Amino acid sequence: MTPSQDSKHSDQDNRLADFTDRVLSGQADQAESNADPELRQLEETVLRLNRTLPQSSLSDADVKQMWVRLNARARREAHKEEVPFWKKWFLPNQVRPQFGMALGFVALLVLMAVVIPSFTTGNGSTIGTALTSSQGLATVLVLAGVILLIFWFMRRK
Amino acid sequence: MENASNSASDESLVQQFKDGSRDAFDQLYHRHLPVVFKRVRYVIPENDVEDVTQEIFIAAMKSLPSFRGDSQFGTWLRTLTNHKVAEFYRKRARKQEPLVAPLTEASGKVDDHTPKSVEERIFMQKALNKLPDNYREIILLRFVEDLQFNEIAELLGQNLEATKSLYRRAITALQGSLEE
Repeated sequence: MTPSQDSKHSDQDNRLADFTDRVLSGQADQAESNADPELRQLEETVLRLNRTLPQSSLSDADVKQMWVRLNARARREAHKEEVPFWKKWFLPNQVRPQFGMALGFVALLVLMAVVIPSFTTGNGSTIGTALTSSQGLATVLVLAGVILLIFWFMRRK
Repeated sequence: MENASNSASDESLVQQFKDGSRDAFDQLYHRHLPVVFKRVRYVIPENDVEDVTQEIFIAAMKSLPSFRGDSQFGTWLRTLTNHKVAEFYRKRARKQEPLVAPLTEASGKVDDHTPKSVEERIFMQKALNKLPDNYREIILLRFVEDLQFNEIAELLGQNLEATKSLYRRAITALQGSLEE
């Protein structure tokens, strides 16, 4: 940029800023720079911007209504974001880790208690227990592994 | 709008809110709503203005506890507003919705109901949204927030000459955008 262009732009900067101040304070409503067509176009853009975009401000009633609607929405969103009870219990890192792990252990014991009797006959005589039957042992180990894996991945989230 | 009871500084109200005062947020909301609403209204289709404004204040409510006060609350809220406006347009682009509301929708909520003025407003919003961030920002600071050029210079950490130069270039870019 040459020094004369620099000076021209600096002059335009100041004149456009002053013109904008006058427009926004209601002291100007038409372009003023007849001698400088480039600046005149910029002034017309400022006028167009000021004329086009919304000028009205919110009334007190609008503000109050919007506040009421905002609160209603905030309550709805807070309600949506509440952590379900099962998550509180089962996500070890989130709320109560010891309780979650203990619950997981209990769940494992309950599962074993449910699975082991399924290897007994109706009259109570044991034909094979989870610990002696290779199939039963494998089932219990797989289930235990799955539960441990679930807890592991939940813990890492 | 302000009275003696809500003359506390933003920083003090933020601290009160962090300490659990819901009333403090109420005061911050009433203090900053007019500018946030006007800023959103300049760049978002009329039908979505209140929705986006609500999102801004809900996000503010959620984020305030982690606000460290490195900047002024007003500056922080302005950044949050710009972020939410950008998010609005990202979501719209993903849904492949038009970037502005149809004329018939928009005309129901604006002050001046003539189709020509509604069309002109939509056209101006599109032109503003096409501008680089720093150009759009200086126009909004002057027209929406009614900051004087010396105040804008201070806010941007520039001297007055550089600020006025940035403003002229922003208006030149807007003019170009309107002519496209």
